[in-house]
Amino acid sequence: MTGFLAVYRREMLSLWVTPLAWVLLTVFLLLEGTIFYSIVVHFTTLPDLAVDNGPVQAFFGQESILLLLTLILLCPALTMRTFAEERKSGTIETLLTAPLGASSVVLAKYFAVLSTYALMWAPTLLYVVILRKTGSVDWNTVGASYLGLLGVGGSYLALGTLMSALTKSQLVALLLTILFVFGLFVMGIGEYVFEPGAFRELCAHVSMASQMEDFSRGIIDLRRVVFDLSTVVLCLFLTTRVVDSWRWS
Amino acid sequence: MIEAENLSKDYGSVVAVKDLSFRVGQGEIVGFLGPNGAGKSTTLRILAGFLGATRGSVRIAGHDVAREPLQAKQKLGYMPESAPLYPEMRVDEYLSFRAAVKRVARRGRKAAIARAMELTAISDMRETLIGHLSKGYRQRVALADALVASPPLLILDEPTAGLDPNQIRDTRQVIRELGKAHTILLSTHILSEVEATCDRALVIDRGTLVAEGTLAELAALGKAKTLVVELNDPEARAEALLGGLAGIERIERLGQSGALRLSLHASLPPAEVAEHVARVCVEAGLGVRALTPGKASLEEVFAALTEHLPEAQAASEPRA
Repeated sequence: MTGFLAVYRREMLSLWVTPLAWVLLTVFLLLEGTIFYSIVVHFTTLPDLAVDNGPVQAFFGQESILLLLTLILLCPALTMRTFAEERKSGTIETLLTAPLGASSVVLAKYFAVLSTYALMWAPTLLYVVILRKTGSVDWNTVGASYLGLLGVGGSYLALGTLMSALTKSQLVALLLTILFVFGLFVMGIGEYVFEPGAFRELCAHVSMASQMEDFSRGIIDLRRVVFDLSTVVLCLFLTTRVVDSWRWS
Repeated sequence: MIEAENLSKDYGSVVAVKDLSFRVGQGEIVGFLGPNGAGKSTTLRILAGFLGATRGSVRIAGHDVAREPLQAKQKLGYMPESAPLYPEMRVDEYLSFRAAVKRVARRGRKAAIARAMELTAISDMRETLIGHLSKGYRQRVALADALVASPPLLILDEPTAGLDPNQIRDTRQVIRELGKAHTILLSTHILSEVEATCDRALVIDRGTLVAEGTLAELAALGKAKTLVVELNDPEARAEALLGGLAGIERIERLGQSGALRLSLHASLPPAEVAEHVARVCVEAGLGVRALTPGKASLEEVFAALTEHLPEAQAASEPRA
């Protein structure tokens, strides 16, 4: 546990003392702010609002493909350096010769990017506060929406961590993760394209657009939670195996 | 402290280390010597638990590196070649991170870091970003990292590579100082390093151990192979005479007049050849002033061991 905490702290420090997290945060908040602003402007033109069709739903779910696209870029950029950088610079050798298990290294690194991701979302709580000033906000839907974001982001970050362990090049890790994440996104669109059947079911199951739509209405679908969690567990397990396998490279 | 048995490491079809066995006892400073690409770094990485051996086993302070990796790793401080560090951290931040990872108790951490910084003379740099440090300082930070948890064993991979002569001297001084309290295995391809710091050396070439012993023993390996004769007579006559003798492979003139170095053939015992040479010289009235076994420098031994592998193996046979 001491090892886990030490590595976690170092990862956080590395993320936040280098420009990467700040650049990502700036771009991310600019994008989200713009999206939020245009949504609010749009809703002010409407005569009245339905209960489950307000700005919160528009921001987190439904047509807001923009939010999903920012995730497709944000998550891979956050995870690309995780292992690739350490292998390129050789510091992985000092890390893995310390009395630490591969799993604590993987978990510490994963939780560091996950907390960074959560921290990046934190300022968007201000949007909800702004909405609260002018009308009523259902805090349950807000909570469910953030939970949805944590699930989607969490699984993308786990995927990114795995990709970063597979290559020494940060760029390759970034592109591979984008490829996978974008692949999942495109597969999600399949829900609206294919004839009803097993494949369409599968598409609906992996679709983060549908997940965010459900969660932004306050519907916490356990199947989605299980899917996200199992993606995280599988990816981190594979990452641990990859880290172990370096002994034999 | 280290017991390596029949270590082998293959990279695909390339054999990096082949059936390597050796021991390092408590309190020793041992040099791990070999030309570039001999398998030194690979071996040290296996010892440190970074790489797994294809065959064979390593025990560090009684713990098998493959079966009890955490216990074994806790007994050693490892400094990889090229001293990789995180450039975005400050020196004290880095050492504090390393001390925590190596499970130095929180209470003793500050003192452990201060001690490591003092030993490696980097206390003045504690708040400097590692990325701003010179090569020499980074090397010392890596050394401080290796010893911050006071492990009984230090494994240092080319600790002086890339340093200037003053820094090399300082680093060796530090290593000798550390040798009083720690067992040290350090790799190098520089012989003077071994002469300056180590009690004993292991010589490795193309993945196999070709010789091991104290420095005197290693130097003796080469000693038997040459004879130096000093004569009153000019060299020319002697050369013609001795050239025909059995057991002499090559004759070279040394700087001073009348001195010749005879390289001996391995097939005859050196003592017999020496007797022969003496007799011939005396009979011919060359005026023998001295006849001594040549003192091969460690450099020559090293060259002989690593350049002519079959011969070198013959020389190390008594060990096995």
